[in-house]
Amino acid sequence: MIRYLLILLFFYCGALYAQVTPVTELSEVNLKYIKLKDSVYTTTQTVLSDSVLKRNQSSLTSLLNYNTTIYLKENGLGMVSSPSFRGTTAQQTAVLWNGININSQTTGQTDFNTINTRGFDQVVVKSGGGGVIDGSNAIGGSIYLENILDYNLGFENDLFLKYGSYKTYGIDYKTSYSTKQASFSLGISRQGSENDYEYLGTDRINKNGQFNNTNISSSFGFKLNKRNIINFYANIYEGKRNFSLPTPNALETKYNDFNTRSMLEWVSKSRNLTSNTKVAYITENYKYYPNIARDFYTYGDVGSLFLKYNLDYELGRILLTGGLNYNQNNGEGSDLAHEIRHLGSAVLGLKHKVNQRFLYEISLRQEFNSTYESPFLYAAGIQAVITSFYTLKLNTSKNFRIPTYNDLYWEGLGNADLKPELSYQGEMSHVLHIPNASLTINGYYNKVQDLLLWTPDVNGIWRPKNAENVKIYGVEGLLTAKKSIAAHSFNVSATYAYTVSTNEKTNKQLIYVPYHKLTTAVGYGYKKLSAYYQYINNGEVYTTTDNATEHILNSYMVANFGLEYNLGKKTNTYVLGAQILNLWNESYESVLNRPMPGRNFNVYLNFNI
Amino acid sequence: MLAIILLLQNCTSDDRDIIIETPPPSGDYANGIFVLNEGGYTYSNASVSFIDNSGQVYNNIFYAVNGRGLGDVAQSMAFHRDKAYVLVNNSNTIEVVNRYTFESISTIEQDILNPRFMTFDGDKGYITNWGDPADTTDDYVAILNTETNIVINTISVSEGPEEILNNNGTLYVAHKGGWGYGNTISVLNASSETVISNIQVSDVPGNMMIYNNDLYVLCAGKGDYTGDETVAGVHKINLATNHVTDQIIFADGVHPGYFQIDNNSLLFTLNRDVFKVNLNDFTLPEAPFFSTNAQNVGVLYGFKISNGNIYVADAKDYVSNGTVLVYDLQGQFQENYNVKLIPNGFYSNN
Repeated sequence: MIRYLLILLFFYCGALYAQVTPVTELSEVNLKYIKLKDSVYTTTQTVLSDSVLKRNQSSLTSLLNYNTTIYLKENGLGMVSSPSFRGTTAQQTAVLWNGININSQTTGQTDFNTINTRGFDQVVVKSGGGGVIDGSNAIGGSIYLENILDYNLGFENDLFLKYGSYKTYGIDYKTSYSTKQASFSLGISRQGSENDYEYLGTDRINKNGQFNNTNISSSFGFKLNKRNIINFYANIYEGKRNFSLPTPNALETKYNDFNTRSMLEWVSKSRNLTSNTKVAYITENYKYYPNIARDFYTYGDVGSLFLKYNLDYELGRILLTGGLNYNQNNGEGSDLAHEIRHLGSAVLGLKHKVNQRFLYEISLRQEFNSTYESPFLYAAGIQAVITSFYTLKLNTSKNFRIPTYNDLYWEGLGNADLKPELSYQGEMSHVLHIPNASLTINGYYNKVQDLLLWTPDVNGIWRPKNAENVKIYGVEGLLTAKKSIAAHSFNVSATYAYTVSTNEKTNKQLIYVPYHKLTTAVGYGYKKLSAYYQYINNGEVYTTTDNATEHILNSYMVANFGLEYNLGKKTNTYVLGAQILNLWNESYESVLNRPMPGRNFNVYLNFNI
Repeated sequence: MLAIILLLQNCTSDDRDIIIETPPPSGDYANGIFVLNEGGYTYSNASVSFIDNSGQVYNNIFYAVNGRGLGDVAQSMAFHRDKAYVLVNNSNTIEVVNRYTFESISTIEQDILNPRFMTFDGDKGYITNWGDPADTTDDYVAILNTETNIVINTISVSEGPEEILNNNGTLYVAHKGGWGYGNTISVLNASSETVISNIQVSDVPGNMMIYNNDLYVLCAGKGDYTGDETVAGVHKINLATNHVTDQIIFADGVHPGYFQIDNNSLLFTLNRDVFKVNLNDFTLPEAPFFSTNAQNVGVLYGFKISNGNIYVADAKDYVSNGTVLVYDLQGQFQENYNVKLIPNGFYSNN
């Protein structure tokens, strides 16, 4: 711990010395129209823009692993992957597609290897509880997958081609056309890999690990008049994965995902009022083949309808917000009885910018449903600009996670008497905003009650229940800095998290929650040449609830290096790039007995016209 | 800056290998009892512990002797002459070792798919296999040549073959069920390698034991979670006629776990309690013989009477190292031993 802190301190001091210009503009102090969900006044969020997405691998797992404090548990490259955000469980991170919560209704979590980041214009990571705005599962934090509609840019095309070790390929094409009134974009992405990498230090290879996926995303925006905008978003994802074998002679299995998302949005503005109406329909479908040699599979299938209405009212320095949400899930599966459930909620919010230096916000949410207890949620926070370079934020919130279809309706084992998990948290952020660099230090505390867990009884039968309470606290540091000297430009972003997440009864650290995680990305540009280096260090994790040392998964460090050259002129870019992944050939696993690849290579081409 | 980056490279802690424990002074694992720890599903951390008669525990002995892991979910173990066979269910392998030194002799991979239990007749081993667990028609008994360690034939059987016992060349296979739930005992002729008959029993036959020329079978019945709950039973089958000659039927909603027969008494587990049935009157007792409540068992996952002791395996929450609890034949708690992940069985090596 001490060693990490010293390193960080050293690192940050070095960066402060560099006297650079700000990378992230944090001071959007004007209280004009703000969508409540975009607010970062009293919490912390990190925006991963298109340029960051392109330099990372296409899976959401890899993107977040190298750029955020989130620990990713990946069953081998490309296989099932789940997050631990701020010491929470896989189901306690909400993933939202253009504002719609897409966590699986059957498992409660999102498999981060079924999200292809090439289908989005930016990915935003919001730390901490967001239950009032993001709904269920936003306990450790939320991930926003966003498509952005641009206007008046004409015709644009972007082609990104990539090929690398283990026959890994990526083909991404995005075309967009926009006028002053209308905007249209269509993106198609195809990723695949034989994924037959060697397990370092053994004579085994990753057998039966091949995968491919296709993502199609489209958005359409139309400004009807000065006051009314209609937007439409659609996304189709199809993923086919064979599951890599835990042991060489194991039975070969595979897993197919098919997800669709579509949403119609109407934004209407008048002098003081802004209303936003959304209708969305998403479907999730999986098929698991326990033996690839046969056609037999088990499946889960849920369709979800969302209706969201939000009204903002501006009154001088005050913004009042009211919202109504309705969500219907209609699901069934091999082991799930067919069920339809209805969930509703009402939201009220107030933001008040008292003066140039002080802002507070309060928001409340009441859930309505007939299936289980409907919690009342809240969030409140302040932002105080203490000096020109130091801002203090305080935030507290109550958040929840609803029982999943599996928890409630699994035939024979589902438990209709489950309550939602509840999380009470408090957070303090210090934002240091110095020329060309910003440093955020967060401290938080989170108490999660009535964790929804499947636990075995004395006869070894697993059943879901509200089983445990968990206490989490931690410290995070987020740094970005940038500097240019003549034709040379440098940029650095780094994150560090110290996380203690303990079971209240046993006082043991939760499994797969590292005490330490560090990420660093350094970029260097000289004229048309750029180089970048990414580095993560994940601390050791326990894999057993008794924290037995012989079952610890070792800490590891993994680094990637990339080099690219822009052959283009003016606004057109023709980028030729190459990457070395796992540069130091580290042998590592993020889940026990699931080795990750050693050093491997790829080259890419990006045309943007 | 570069210096800092390089400095950061060194934060990885030293590798933490499985602790290698020194073998017993005699150099072999005789005069004691093996405990099979199945390990977590897909985590490949199955292991074998050995508790010698003085109470000394040796963990991870397969790894200590052979320098590699046992595999993914160790299901059961069987002895034949000087060899021990460890059936590794999700690895689809059988590890053949010397039963005293635990040195590896062979790893059997061919024609083994979801192996469950094993017995022997002459030079042949008979292994029950579920095959593809989701396929209810591909279950079989594999026949192993114990001289060559090669599977020489397979006998197709009905779904979910579990325990297998040999009575002078007649094999009894309990169809507990894998994907579904079974309710038969198959009778096989070991030399002709054929199924000769089926014995109808209650649902979910698990443990079987042969005692005084009778075969006893414990059927747990289908649990409430199956949506079709059925009653449990203990059946006594005459080995000469293969007919059920006596039985105990449990009350509705009562599902016993494991049983053992010792000194004309049948002991079975029910939740955290152990009940005792006198084989002479073969009726259910009112009150438990003893309880493991005081030892706060998480998951009661193994039960064995051996060398005058009653051994109970506590698998905790399936995600922690387990414990072996030892009781005397009067049900008095004696001591406990820390073993490894998910202990599921005991095999005396005296």
